[in-house]
Amino acid sequence: MVHALEQIHFLLKEDGRLIDIHPPPEPPPIFVRLGEQRHPVGWVREADDYCEYAQADDALDEVVARGLYRWEKRGRFTFVTHAGSISELQTHLAETWNDAIIDDRVIQRAEELMATVEPDQEVLLHEVIQIARLRVASL
Amino acid sequence: MTIRQDPEDSETRALLDFAGDLSGKTVLEIGCGDGRLTFRYAARAARVHAIDPSEKKIAKARRKLPAALQDRVEFWATGIENFFAPEKYDLALLSWSL
Repeated sequence: MVHALEQIHFLLKEDGRLIDIHPPPEPPPIFVRLGEQRHPVGWVREADDYCEYAQADDALDEVVARGLYRWEKRGRFTFVTHAGSISELQTHLAETWNDAIIDDRVIQRAEELMATVEPDQEVLLHEVIQIARLRVASL
Repeated sequence: MTIRQDPEDSETRALLDFAGDLSGKTVLEIGCGDGRLTFRYAARAARVHAIDPSEKKIAKARRKLPAALQDRVEFWATGIENFFAPEKYDLALLSWSL
């Protein structure tokens, strides 16, 4: 990761900027929405326990400490994925997030809630995402 | 129902807030995937070079590229470690790829 940030530094103009968007090393919650009501049913687990996201944070800290970049702005936003069912969310995650795991009890809880008569229902994955802007620092 | 990712546009709003005015700016997007985010900001930039190691995703991005963006967006199937950039950029965007 540090090597990638070094290469990007080389590809940026002298006053260039880098924007990094990545999730924090925390499990994102899953909700079932029935009408206006959201019900938490569990989290998405990751096989490697989100260690890549922690490594990404460390890599950014390292290149800043080495003077390649300087922080300009940091923030967070919520990225919501809407699915028609828990199995649809599972299929989507299998294609886009290889090591994501939804535990059986979470699936069961979601399916039980969605077995109600409420027609306006969906599954929501709430990811709080980190965004940061860094500027190229002159060495 | 099909999957809908961020129909609230929170990501685009955050990106545009952090990127500021993109007019006249050249952008290198690393980890563009199928262009989901690329298509949301590219019209504001002068030129976007978007890369991703997945040939399948890049093929999908090229298929989905709107005609209005064809003169300013190029997709390449490569990782940053093998990317031979044709120019230096004003902005690099790591989209969920670090």
